[in-house]
Amino acid sequence: MTVIETDVQDGRPRPQRGAKVLDAEKVVMRFGGLVAVNNVDFDVHEGEIVGLIGPNGAGKTTFFNCLTGMYKPTSGTVRFYGEVLPPKPRAVVKAGMARTFQNIRLFGNMTALENVMVGRYCRTTSGAITSVLHGPKYRREEAESRARAAELLDFVGLGKSAELLARNMPYGDQRRLEIARALATDPKLILLDEPTAGMNPQETQQAMDLIFKIRDMGLAVVVIEHDMRFIFQLCDRVLCLVRGEALIWGTPGEVQSDPRVIEAYIGGSELEDDEDDA
Amino acid sequence: METFLQQLINGLTLGSLYALIAVGYTVVYGIVQLINFAHGEVFMIGAFGALATYLLLFQGQTALWILPIMIIGAMVAAVGTAVAMERVAYRPLRNAPRLAPLITAIGISVFLQEFIRLFFDKIPGTNFPSAKAKIPFPQIDVVTGKAFSPLAGVQIQRAAVFTIAMMALSALGLWYFINKTKTGRGMQAVSQDPDTARLMGINVDRIIVAAFAVGAALAGIAGVAQGLQITNINFKMGFIAGLKAFTAAVLGGIGNIQGAVIGGLVLGMAEAMITQYTGMLPDPFGQFGGSSWKDVWAFALLIIVLVFRPQGLLGAKVVDRA
Amino acid sequence: MNFVIPTIPDATRAQHASKGWPLALAGSVLLLVSGLLSWSYDPSILGDISIAFWPATFQLFAMILGVIGIVLALMHQGPLSKLGNWFDAALGLRALGTASLLVILFGLFAISYQAGGLININPGGWVALLGAILLLVGGRFVPQRTLHSFAKAKANSTLEIVVIVVLMALVLFGLAYVLGQDDPWVFVGFLIMAGGAAMALARAGFFTWLSHISQRHRHVLTLAAFAVAFLFPFTQDGSDANMSIATQVLIFAATAIGLNIVVGLAGLLDLGYIAFLGSGAYVAAMMSNAASATIGWKPPFVVVMLIGACVAATLGLIIGSPTLRVSGDYLAIVTLAFGEIFRLSMFNLDGNNGPDLTNGPNGIPGIPDLNLFGFDFGKPHEIAGFTLGRFSNYYFVLLLLIGFIILVFTRLNNSRIGRGWVAIREDERAAEAMGVNTFALKLLGFAVGAFLAGLAGTIKAHQDTASSPDQYIFLESAFLLSAVVLGGMGTVAGVLVGATILKLLPEKLRFFSEYRLLLFGLLLVVMMRVRPEGLIASKRRQLEFHEDDEALASEIQQDHLVEKAAEAAR
Repeated sequence: MTVIETDVQDGRPRPQRGAKVLDAEKVVMRFGGLVAVNNVDFDVHEGEIVGLIGPNGAGKTTFFNCLTGMYKPTSGTVRFYGEVLPPKPRAVVKAGMARTFQNIRLFGNMTALENVMVGRYCRTTSGAITSVLHGPKYRREEAESRARAAELLDFVGLGKSAELLARNMPYGDQRRLEIARALATDPKLILLDEPTAGMNPQETQQAMDLIFKIRDMGLAVVVIEHDMRFIFQLCDRVLCLVRGEALIWGTPGEVQSDPRVIEAYIGGSELEDDEDDA
Repeated sequence: METFLQQLINGLTLGSLYALIAVGYTVVYGIVQLINFAHGEVFMIGAFGALATYLLLFQGQTALWILPIMIIGAMVAAVGTAVAMERVAYRPLRNAPRLAPLITAIGISVFLQEFIRLFFDKIPGTNFPSAKAKIPFPQIDVVTGKAFSPLAGVQIQRAAVFTIAMMALSALGLWYFINKTKTGRGMQAVSQDPDTARLMGINVDRIIVAAFAVGAALAGIAGVAQGLQITNINFKMGFIAGLKAFTAAVLGGIGNIQGAVIGGLVLGMAEAMITQYTGMLPDPFGQFGGSSWKDVWAFALLIIVLVFRPQGLLGAKVVDRA
Repeated sequence: MNFVIPTIPDATRAQHASKGWPLALAGSVLLLVSGLLSWSYDPSILGDISIAFWPATFQLFAMILGVIGIVLALMHQGPLSKLGNWFDAALGLRALGTASLLVILFGLFAISYQAGGLININPGGWVALLGAILLLVGGRFVPQRTLHSFAKAKANSTLEIVVIVVLMALVLFGLAYVLGQDDPWVFVGFLIMAGGAAMALARAGFFTWLSHISQRHRHVLTLAAFAVAFLFPFTQDGSDANMSIATQVLIFAATAIGLNIVVGLAGLLDLGYIAFLGSGAYVAAMMSNAASATIGWKPPFVVVMLIGACVAATLGLIIGSPTLRVSGDYLAIVTLAFGEIFRLSMFNLDGNNGPDLTNGPNGIPGIPDLNLFGFDFGKPHEIAGFTLGRFSNYYFVLLLLIGFIILVFTRLNNSRIGRGWVAIREDERAAEAMGVNTFALKLLGFAVGAFLAGLAGTIKAHQDTASSPDQYIFLESAFLLSAVVLGGMGTVAGVLVGATILKLLPEKLRFFSEYRLLLFGLLLVVMMRVRPEGLIASKRRQLEFHEDDEALASEIQQDHLVEKAAEAAR
């Protein structure tokens, strides 16, 4: 199933696939009588970009929430580097899984730099006492956080916007800032929930470049998207969910050429959905 | 057994009082998701409104027919206060951060207490006593006076019967109002979904005023009942009563009107029973019972309910109170 | 905060632009001169303003306003014209005109009210009124000039430090002066004058500049502020009356800053905060040498302080624990209920209802004064020829305490913990999803706040010499919260201002003590409508209270960028 089509993708060399990062087996999520996700298998490796597509109400967001620990699956397991994580967002972040939100959830009244520094929170441990005394640990961690945050802002192309309030930033920059904030948690796997929603073609292209850059650092990336062209250009493998079930799970070429995918999309209207992501 | 019956009656009376006040918290909350902390003061103003009516019109008389007029006086004072506070203080803050209405409520609460304390005897054209000390509440034929004693060892105050009866009547009236009148149905609609209700042509502002008014009317009745029972009133009576009634509203599931009534009765019973029976426990524990600790247990109950069952015993609209 | 007087249409202003400046200057000069003339026929009122060439009270106020007016006018046009490129003299003059008129009218009213009629006003008063009117009218016609941004100003460290020090000295003089006034008319007159002058300087952009230079010389500013606070008792001539008020203000402010950690930083509402002050005070009382103290162990006071603070912090953790499940209004009520439970428990634990810990409603009276390292706090001491009374002794300890509390506040605010708190206030679920331990941070907020209040409480018990349940009623919590809300959430300066207003005014204005609570209630309602973020709010808090205000956001953005640029330039 996981045949790699070529060694070159979008004009850049495809890196070697690394260890398995995330492994979901037979995940089922029921809400009362409703089966939102039914028996879905999924896995992601280091240095790989995996896409998650499906028409409205297909259970993408629910599945996403199972992966990120917001929900505990009714049955089945989600393993991260072989371990089942407790269903607590914080523990999941700490283990190395970070996410962005479909409807941007930045801390609007903080500057860009501060937003990213919040991402460093879980990788620092200065307590109240050292913070008050400005002890050596505080100084070291504060300097380290600041430097790392500045570096990440440069990485996503926001180096000049560090001191802007997040709420004053243009939409596309806010999306990139969210990615920088997620990267600040030192993830092994980053999950992007509709990273190009509401972007123009130029911004979309920039987003794609950024995601490739993240992949090239050896991270595993999972992307939920509606934009098919974007997904097929970007991803190594794609999972298509329909009515909570895995319709097809393969390379972009396989998914693209599968008539059932087109049917599913025409059958269920492909409107830009506003599923709640939380 | 007599003790138990006696406490049952005490609890029922107390509970009816709490229920009458609790409705005000719950109705307003159901419509605007606002905890009107100053509602206890509305209850207090109701009592003073009744007293003022009496002193102005019937000083020295005790005939029963005076009582309905006093109740109307109480309701007018209470409703007037509540509507004014909605219009002046709460309405401008409807989209403000949650802290603002809360602080405003504390401000209104202090203001109303002080206003009564300082100015009750200075209202022009009247000769009211100063509210800086307790003021005796008028005695009314039939509803005050010698207690009934259906069983040896069980006393039923006449005012207690009045309180329970007013509670029952109010509950019926409220049910009719909510379900059978246009305004009542409008209130239901707004509490379900204010935006849709607005689109359907319901005047949401008017509905909100109505919610404040209904709650205040019942609080006014409660003010009279309290006055008759305790036989005096003072400007501070609203604070603890308001907190207890709020506990009742939460207990029943805030936003849920039947819940407020049931919550009030349950809290009243619990308070009466705890007061009676914890005092009888053997000593290290018994010391923590009785009437000096009853408020502590009531507040502890409030905390427990808020923390472990914020939707109340009956359940209420689930609202994310972030 | 705008003055009620409407502004003049631009066209009219342009037409008469040239007349404004001479009028304003003349008005200012008249104000200055009026201070040298006699104002009142009656020498017995308002600190004697009947003598010429011997200015007192209102005469002084007029002269101060006049000097500010002259300086502003000369900035607009004349020898100080260069300064006018940086400061907006026109706006300053306009505000000053209104303020002057208010002060003078109030002064004239005070004279005629106290001495019986306008007839008692001497020419000085009328000259001042004329000056104020001229200044008011003239100021309105002075056209605004285009200004340079302070970001481009060349820094002159020596000058800036001198300005800070002089300013602090003025604050000290002002404080000593105003506290020395027993006449409520003069007191209020001074407040109007000081408020008006501050407003005029603020309009002129003076405070913006000040905030820039205090950014650059933060340590100088802090040091100067503490020096002023430290010197204050020496201005009191051994009198304990004002020092008693000052210590009360300090205890109140210390507690309120602790509360500001909970409310302003962690964003949690606490309506029972007074319980933490109370638990500290009760611990100190129970372990003191008072006759009715209930605990036999008498450790040194430093240990008692720590125990009191730790007891309070433990209570804080207990009261904070519901934040795992409860937030918003419900949390407020939970804390209120905890506060009441504390008070009732202190009231009840008298031996008949539970063990005897607190002596019940009578409380624990007769707590002896502190005696640290042989220094008896109950006795006056001579230092460099100045006599410092009992309250001055406590004042110095409290000053140390408040310094510590301010340190904790600001450093936590600027740490990883502070950023976590902001993130929680902004979007708790997003913060959690970014790995912020929201529950632990909220608990920490409660615990730190409680710890600091407990510390303050242990000192309070000794200073009050008694501890009783009626000191810890809900209203006191409401007062503390109001100091935070009124002064400004998330800032130290705001809380200091709020605490001073709430404690000092009622003490000095005895005639309105009866209406104190009434006005307090009204003030809360009005503040929530007019300026919910408080008088001196942190920028971030201001933004949070005005999520839709784009203009404010870009203004604050601009300020922030200027500050950062200045920081980088260093």
